[in-house]
Amino acid sequence: MIGTSDLPTLALIDERQLADSSRFWRRVSRWKGWPTTAKWLGFFAIAMIYVPLVWLAVMSISQSPLSGIPYPLTTANYAALAADSRWIPPLQVSLVMSTLVAIVCMVIATMVGRSITRMRRPGGVLLLTLLPLFVPGLTMGAALFIFLRTMLGLKMGYWSIFLAQLVWALPFALLLVLVIASRFDLRLLEAAEDLGATPWRRFWDIEMPILRPGVFGAGVFGFLLSFNELLRSLFLRGVETTMPIYNWAMAASQQSQVPIIFSLATIILVVTLPVMGVFFWFLFVKLDRS
Amino acid sequence: MLDRLTPSGVAVPAFLITWSLVVILPLLVIVLFSFLQVKSYRVVYVPTLGTWESVIDSGRWIVAVRTLRIAITMTLIELLLAFPFALWLAKGCKSKPAKAIIITLLTIPFFLDTSSRIIVWRSILGTNGIVNTVLTSMGIVDEPISWLLYSEFAVHFGMLGSYFPTMVFPIFMIMSLIDDDYIQASSDLGASPGQTLLYVILPMSLPGVVAGVVFTLVPLMAAFVEPQMLGGGFVNLLGNSVNSALQELKYPTAAALSTIVVALLGVCLAALILITRKRFDMSTMFQAIRR
Repeated sequence: MIGTSDLPTLALIDERQLADSSRFWRRVSRWKGWPTTAKWLGFFAIAMIYVPLVWLAVMSISQSPLSGIPYPLTTANYAALAADSRWIPPLQVSLVMSTLVAIVCMVIATMVGRSITRMRRPGGVLLLTLLPLFVPGLTMGAALFIFLRTMLGLKMGYWSIFLAQLVWALPFALLLVLVIASRFDLRLLEAAEDLGATPWRRFWDIEMPILRPGVFGAGVFGFLLSFNELLRSLFLRGVETTMPIYNWAMAASQQSQVPIIFSLATIILVVTLPVMGVFFWFLFVKLDRS
Repeated sequence: MLDRLTPSGVAVPAFLITWSLVVILPLLVIVLFSFLQVKSYRVVYVPTLGTWESVIDSGRWIVAVRTLRIAITMTLIELLLAFPFALWLAKGCKSKPAKAIIITLLTIPFFLDTSSRIIVWRSILGTNGIVNTVLTSMGIVDEPISWLLYSEFAVHFGMLGSYFPTMVFPIFMIMSLIDDDYIQASSDLGASPGQTLLYVILPMSLPGVVAGVVFTLVPLMAAFVEPQMLGGGFVNLLGNSVNSALQELKYPTAAALSTIVVALLGVCLAALILITRKRFDMSTMFQAIRR
């Protein structure tokens, strides 16, 4: 009897306390406006991303981009950009470099990703591969520079930029391949083997078509991440320049150069934004279905 | 059977060895290097505390404290903005196209050039910028507000958009995994929305919150472009110090500062794990989500 009388008393106290102390909080938590507030907080943060981009485009056709007023409008910045050819080599370097990083990412991510899913204890390998995600870019760049340049005495150049960008892009590429590869049914390969398929045919005809979205995604992420990588390549560039380094140098140094990067960045945005928008739209719609 | 299905058993070990050489070894080397000296472009392999003494004497520890303060403040601001938004996006937003558009909008910034995004804030926040122009022309302020640009405010403001997606994504993903039935059950049992949030949604989404904090704090600890372009020399962070040390060829100093970045991050992450482990048992949470 004593044991049973405890519980109701506890409940009673609890209820009374609730009624006394947390009436205010109840009212707060029942407020209908919370979802709307949450929504607009997020929209505010998203606006903080896209307002500068829109303003960038507006200022690229303004006479003095660093002042606040877009008027008078002019196309002089674009003319200056067309007359200036110093931005073309960095762009070419970036395009070639990103393509290389993307290809290497696809190959390594596929090889390692499909092997990890067959491991009994993949945790250690995974953690080691994903480690660069937990190291700030600048620190990784400084560490690589001190290791390669000062310790080993190597000459910096395109190869070290490539290495730095690969270290950054590969973890993402691997994650993308892993998402797809972990769903792969190994019995399909056994079936193919029983039916007499050679190892290469088993990989190319059975495994690859299923892994393809992940491999493709790895390539796209590799390209995009490498194309915009600044913090690591900045230290490992030697005397070479990529597009983000060029933009950074122009933005950081003389103000007279700024109008050019406004129009250059706008052109790159106009080209890349719709492509990325369509790509991610299809990616997410597809992921949503599967 | 599985062995026969992995034709390239060499691939993973070879990759791991190479990866350790280019990722782990450099990180160990900088710790070691901060105790060495460089004399006439040559590394002197004699251990010395000289670099660390000069780092402490020259007041760089103030920079470390400032970096930590700004990084933690920004992480908290992003968390306050992102947690409710992720909850709304995962549970409140019923329209599928709207969801896909928002996710796309949050993904694109990962692939945009930082410098040109940040430099444009100058023409928004500067003394001749659009904000000040509008404010003065409307007569709200008499003269341009000078602290809008080249101040800690500007640095925080410029970081706001850049580090938002990294916080939203992990929280959103883990919240999408929470079964609606749990929330329904909680309210059926008489919990107010606030109690459901505190006792059901928060514990279950904690792994996502931890991941979000990690992925936001890590780049913030070595933020470089925002303080450089919006701080106007007044907001010197560890990232800028590493850069200037490298440009002045003070390699051991750069190594010591990088070590500080990694060490501070390690302390923050350890504290994060300790706090969350004390409050909630992580493993049961994972099990709850798996079910």
